[in-house]
Amino acid sequence: MAPHSPGTDQIETLLWIGFVAAAIVVVAVVVGLVYALRRYRAQRGAEPRHLADSRRVQFRVGATLTVFAAAILVLSIVFTDRAREKAPTGTAGLQVAHSEPLQIAVTGQQWLWRYDYPNEAFSYYKLVVPVDTAVELNLVSTDVIHTWNVPDLAGKADAVPGKTNHLFFRADEEGSYFGRAATLSGQAYAAMRAEVEVVSPQTYETFLEQRKNEIQAAQDRVVGLVEGGEAP
Amino acid sequence: MSAVNGQPELVVDGFPPQRRRWVQIATGADHKDIGRVMVVAALGFLFMALVELLLMRLQLAIPENTFLAPVTFNRMLSLYGATAIFLFAIPLALGILYYVAPLQIGARGTALPRLGQLGMWLYLAGATVLYTGFLYTPSEAGVNPLPPLSGIAFLPNNGVDAWCAATGLATLGFVLIAIDLVATLRTLRAPGMAWRRLPVFSWAAAICSWLLVVIGPVMLAAITMLLIDRNFDGIFFAGDAGGSPLLWEHLSWIFLSGAYALILIFALAAIAEIVSALARRPLAGRSVVICSLAAIAVLCTLAWMQNMLTAPIGIGWMYFAMTMALALIVPFGLVFFNLIATLIGGAVQMRAPLLFAAGAIVSISIGLAAEIEHSMVAAAWQLNNTVDASAATHFALVGGGVFGGFAALYWWFPKMTGRTMGESLARISFWTMAIGMLATFVPLFLAGGLEGEVIDAYKYFAGEGVSTYNLISSIGAFVLAAGILMTLVNAILSRGGGAEAGHDPWGGDSLEWFALSPPEPHNFDLLPDVRSARPLRDIREAIRHRTARAEARARESQTVA
Repeated sequence: MAPHSPGTDQIETLLWIGFVAAAIVVVAVVVGLVYALRRYRAQRGAEPRHLADSRRVQFRVGATLTVFAAAILVLSIVFTDRAREKAPTGTAGLQVAHSEPLQIAVTGQQWLWRYDYPNEAFSYYKLVVPVDTAVELNLVSTDVIHTWNVPDLAGKADAVPGKTNHLFFRADEEGSYFGRAATLSGQAYAAMRAEVEVVSPQTYETFLEQRKNEIQAAQDRVVGLVEGGEAP
Repeated sequence: MSAVNGQPELVVDGFPPQRRRWVQIATGADHKDIGRVMVVAALGFLFMALVELLLMRLQLAIPENTFLAPVTFNRMLSLYGATAIFLFAIPLALGILYYVAPLQIGARGTALPRLGQLGMWLYLAGATVLYTGFLYTPSEAGVNPLPPLSGIAFLPNNGVDAWCAATGLATLGFVLIAIDLVATLRTLRAPGMAWRRLPVFSWAAAICSWLLVVIGPVMLAAITMLLIDRNFDGIFFAGDAGGSPLLWEHLSWIFLSGAYALILIFALAAIAEIVSALARRPLAGRSVVICSLAAIAVLCTLAWMQNMLTAPIGIGWMYFAMTMALALIVPFGLVFFNLIATLIGGAVQMRAPLLFAAGAIVSISIGLAAEIEHSMVAAAWQLNNTVDASAATHFALVGGGVFGGFAALYWWFPKMTGRTMGESLARISFWTMAIGMLATFVPLFLAGGLEGEVIDAYKYFAGEGVSTYNLISSIGAFVLAAGILMTLVNAILSRGGGAEAGHDPWGGDSLEWFALSPPEPHNFDLLPDVRSARPLRDIREAIRHRTARAEARARESQTVA
């Protein structure tokens, strides 16, 4: 994984903080345990030392653990809030009115993602977004629960029927980013992939226009067939 | 009894006719028989869970493998989850608690024995439903069958119904046994056995039972709703008709988080007994450990939304879940600290139960440490539903259920059967399991944490950079399984052929070691007055004291003569 959005930068930092915290815990327990078991292996006739059980020691250990937990909690909240910040569209990005993020509706269905763009164009499987542009994904599902997951650009978010979930990112580099759906959704779950293609704003506009024309042409053709009596 | 010639007289007819053993087990309501049945059944299902795990690991050994069809893989996955949680881990913990706790408190039985017996039969009935479901159409909805996938529209065969019936029957059984344990601990403690003198493991029995009484009905409600949705056009979990799929997530995760706590509380309490007896000293910070175990039960259950951090639930709920999950660092840390503090300065005898206890401590701490990262909200957005989560859960629950469960098995096997389990096979089994455990799940940490490999998938692709991790993990799973099998074989062989244990093989301090091995049906002929938290040590001291006095008197009388 390599972060390519301000949000995933923050997540990456938090992941390292979490890793350090986890490592401290494991090392403390393993070192303490191995020391105790090796050093105090009973010799013949050895008697255990009297247990000096003091409240003060328990209190100190408890206080240390509380400080440790509180520190992790505070750091998590700080970095989570930063990761949730909606970075505004940069200078190289697509300039949308009122500097609102670009709204894209994402619909999960077995076993494909559908993306609906602001100009009523839509695409399947591949999401095309402009570089350096604030993008907000509004996720829902038409059937079962799916999880949209492109790790380089954003965290995961579940697409649930009947309730909209939101994801936000701003891709910093053109290119293709891949991910796999992350909630078991039936037989072809493992084949359900997501791709995001980050392009320049011009390419994005062209793509949208082209998609819209193609969809319009296809619909016109169907309307023509119906009117000509060839289709019901 | 009979009266001869109308005159009242005492007639001894001899012992009541001995019923056949299996009739006795099936119809009697002895907590020891029930506990043993549950332990044996749970170990059998551990074997089944291993078979299912190995089949899935074979499929995942190489990229884009076609060893199992996707639908078969999903069935194995569903079966594995239900077997490991509902048919192995919980009943093993509950079976041992139900066997040992009444003995530890000096009770001659349980308070509501028929309830416990019904609980055992419901568990066995649930297991039967799950494994007969395997013969026709098992569930394909995964470890936690989330609606709408588990709804009738997407899985129209009866697999999910069978899953619901199986886990529902088993859960109801666990709740009934828990009620019996709560009542027993409340009413049948021996004279002088105040709560403050209760052994840690019996405290764990009380905590786990109360926990089950709280979380069990939540799961039963969820299962009932799912059955109504599936079979009677219900809309509890229908997102477009007034219900919500998130409701199932909340209810099922409350139960599963509580069950996670239950397995760890059971394991840590058993480890506390083992560590204290084999270090030859009382448990450090006894009351702190007991309070911590209770806190774990509460906080862990309240952290249920830690599993839902990618769901549309609002950031406030996410922070609540994170706070509860991170607060667990304090009670867990205090328990680990006191276990190690008991060993430091002790005269440690490295017997098999202590070896497995140490393995459990390490494994659980790795799992919980990884779980810290899964609780940190933004980090969880990245790590959630990757195989990193799978590895964290397995380190904690295999650490608690298998390493901790085996520590408890090695520890109380002499009490249950009168025989000690083989020590050298135990050592080989332990080290094989330890190597297998690390080889199976450490690569999954890397595949999930670094490469983001997703959970529950029947295949991965060669270009994703996870092929090596998965191959090592699959090989490790076979090593782990071999290690586990050695202990199962050890138990089978030792049952008839192990060394005679005597009533107190470890020099324990609690009352179960005062009973015979195996105990009489009524547990104790005679109950001592409990004067401290270490009643058996008091008895040993009293005997030593009296013997010394008698010897001194004998010497005195000789000099006079």
